[in-house]
Order: sequence, then structure tokens, then C-alpha cells
Amino acid sequence: MTDLRLQHLTPDETELWAQGLLPAARELHLASCGECRVVGDRERKLFRELAQLPRFAPEFGFVERIMARVRIPTPSGSHLGPDPDS
Amino acid sequence: MVAWAKQGHEAAFRELVRRYERPLFSLLYRMVRDRALAEDLAQETFIKVLNGIGSYNPQFKFSSWIFKIANNAAIDHLRKRDLDTLSLDGSPHATTPEEMHATALQLGDRGESPLAELEARELGGAIEQAIARLRPEYRACILLRHVEGFSYEEIAATLELPLGTVKTYIHRARNELRGYLGDRRE
Repeated sequence: MTDLRLQHLTPDETELWAQGLLPAARELHLASCGECRVVGDRERKLFRELAQLPRFAPEFGFVERIMARVRIPTPSGSHLGPDPDS
Repeated sequence: MVAWAKQGHEAAFRELVRRYERPLFSLLYRMVRDRALAEDLAQETFIKVLNGIGSYNPQFKFSSWIFKIANNAAIDHLRKRDLDTLSLDGSPHATTPEEMHATALQLGDRGESPLAELEARELGGAIEQAIARLRPEYRACILLRHVEGFSYEEIAATLELPLGTVKTYIHRARNELRGYLGDRRE
């Protein structure tokens, strides 16, 4: 039987650790393996930077510009709103 | 909300746009790195989605459907304009340093207009520049995973890629990002 405490973390496990989701049994390896700790710390730092990326907003009036070109269906199957081909 | 829109409620259409405008625009903006173009592509995506809402299959997540259309629009545009070969490092097909330089994307290329200044401010940070250096396929995967919080399975469905390919792209993209950011820190 393989001792999980001796096995290095896989990339998937490193991702789980960076997200705080690594099972406790594998945390034991991390506690004693400097190599995996370095890789994990780098991954966690990158995750944090990516998670902090802002969402940008389009210019004012975006919704109205779209709504002006959308055909809204009616229960009868016809459409309300402008014909996009006209 | 989608069911409500399908019944022809204008308010539901507006709500769908409001809900997705920032996520969709942000993805497109980071894909094409041009505000006006990203807005055009986002607009076209919404019009296509909303006008085709009757054909939406609720077996799939609405977010996957709308992001799929947006990503396809970005990739199509990048291919048409050959922008997929533009990166901060130049074309991956370039074989000489001169070719790489000639195809390299310069942030300041678009002049000193207020829009260009805004773009430089918004996309000029180290992490944004590192993302810009990724191949478009890697970029889409990493943005969907880490900015939009999609699962690997959702990304595979959205980008119509095998799950294994998505995992490979994301691992490679992260390695590249760490490399680019490491360069900056050293």
C-alpha cells in the first residue's frame, strides 16, 4: 500500500490546496514537503491575483442599444420589436 | 429568467443583459484587448442570444450557451484579423527575431487617445499583460476558470473541448502565467 504522506501532490491536488479543499490526509504530506509547499504557494498566489481581476463595464446605454435590435417573441409566435434585417 | 424571456417579457430580456453584460464584456475585452471592438462583439452576442432564445435548450446552462457564442465571436474575429498571431511576444509562427518583433503587440500602438489611455490603464497591469501573452485558447480557459468560476466540465461544454484538453490548457496556461509573472518579480 502506498503511503500518501510520501507522494508529492499532483497538479489537481495543488489546485485543491490553493482553494483550501485538499483532503486532510494529503495536507500531512504538504506539512513535511518543502517542494510541494513552494509549488502550492506559487499556485495560491496566482489564484489570488486572478480572482482579484476586475470586471469591466461597457459604455453607458449598452442595454438600450441591444434592446433596440432585439425581437421579443409573443405567445403567438410572432415578434415585437424591430426587424434586424430592415 | 430565461423561461420568462421565452414567454416574451421584455423585462426578462433586460435583466439577462444586465446580469451578463459585465462578465461577457470583460471576457471579450481581455480576449481582443480593444474596448470598442469588445463592446461590438458583446452586443452581437446578446442580439444573437436574445433573438434565438426560442431555440435555447434548457438542458445546457444558459451561461455556457452565452459564453460559447461570445467566445466563438472573439476567436472568429481574432482569426479573421490575424490577431491570434499577435501577442506581446509576437507570432508563435515567427521564425526570426525580426518576424517576432514585427508581429508583437505593443500596448501603445493605438495612439494616445483617451480610449487608448483607458485601455492601457485597465489592461496594463502585470497580470493583465501576462494573460495577454497566452494563446487565445488558453486565455479563454483561464478567464472562464478563474474570473468566472466555471468548473472544468462547464468550460469543456462552453468551449466544446474534451475535458482532458481543458485541464491541459489550464495547467499550461498557469505555468506560463507563473513564468511571465516570475520574470517580472525577478
